[in-house]
Amino acid sequence: MAVKTYPVEIAGLRRELPVVQVGPDVAVALFNMLGDTEVVERAAAALAERLPTDIDTLVTPEVKAVPLAHALSRLSGKPYVVARKTEKPYMINPVSRTVISITTGKPQLLVLDGSDIPLIKGKRVAIVDDVVSTGSTLKGLSDLISEVGGQVGAVLAVFTEGSPRDDVIALGHLPLFKPE
Amino acid sequence: METYPITIGKITRHVPVVETLPGVHIPLVEIMGDVELVQAAAEGLVKHLPPETDALLTLETSPIVLAHAMSAICGKPYVVVRRKRRPYMQDPIIQEVESLTLGVSETLWLDSRMAEKLLGQNVALVFDVVSSGGTMRALEKVAQKAGANVVARLAAFHQGNSKLPVTFLSEIPILQTA
Repeated sequence: MAVKTYPVEIAGLRRELPVVQVGPDVAVALFNMLGDTEVVERAAAALAERLPTDIDTLVTPEVKAVPLAHALSRLSGKPYVVARKTEKPYMINPVSRTVISITTGKPQLLVLDGSDIPLIKGKRVAIVDDVVSTGSTLKGLSDLISEVGGQVGAVLAVFTEGSPRDDVIALGHLPLFKPE
Repeated sequence: METYPITIGKITRHVPVVETLPGVHIPLVEIMGDVELVQAAAEGLVKHLPPETDALLTLETSPIVLAHAMSAICGKPYVVVRRKRRPYMQDPIIQEVESLTLGVSETLWLDSRMAEKLLGQNVALVFDVVSSGGTMRALEKVAQKAGANVVARLAAFHQGNSKLPVTFLSEIPILQTA
């Protein structure tokens, strides 16, 4: 069976992304960095060069962008915080917000552990994600950061998707596809 | 807040101690977000990778950063097994976890596109913390269903009595109180 793919270049590396249907009228080029260490490291290096110098902390949503945030943190020396998708029993005073995810169409919780809030409160924060599409995760995460007293100073992603947007520092852009 | 010192290589962290059951207190380790600790664990664990290892196999969420850091050091790829079904998955491998944690059941998922990469490969399982070994056993079954051979079981930390032989860097005690 022939699988439709979409070719992309990420910081000088070429990859063929499978095009998969995620809703009745929409298909996406599926970008999954998990396990692709070369892409994560190269993307992190490229994004590190474009990270504004006044940023104090990186914040990333669980799960797929976590290795990117780890690598970017290692390269830049800025700490990173993971916004989890569920509250964990061990969290201290967690703060949460619900967003609608494009890939699932379902409500998705974003949770910050209270013990991570000192890294965000009164700080300039960069949000790090793999793909920024409708921006619903971005909006929810921005609101959450504001709620705990942080200021979002930049948004970094490997790709923007759908409508082009200039509020995101990205290494590339992915179109949306019609299912065949 | 009560803390307990844990050490890997030259890195020591004073982690919070939480009461999981009445009278049972455990030091709580979270490697995600701690770049130095993850790098130290990765450097320690790659030394235990058998030379015949083709790939690392891990699961979401916390051990992903460890697998990534190990992969960046040793040059071997890694595959992440998910804890939730994702909409894009085709014909996934599905594996129940026999969990001892208060009867909460859990399921592991691996997309067939990822599983294909494991066929005939020698894989090392990568964990941050192994306690009962139930999740590691389930991950091993995922590997077997994908046609991979498990050549190593690696964990940064070991806690309690695992039923599986595990290579780990640091023991975390279970602290009992009267």
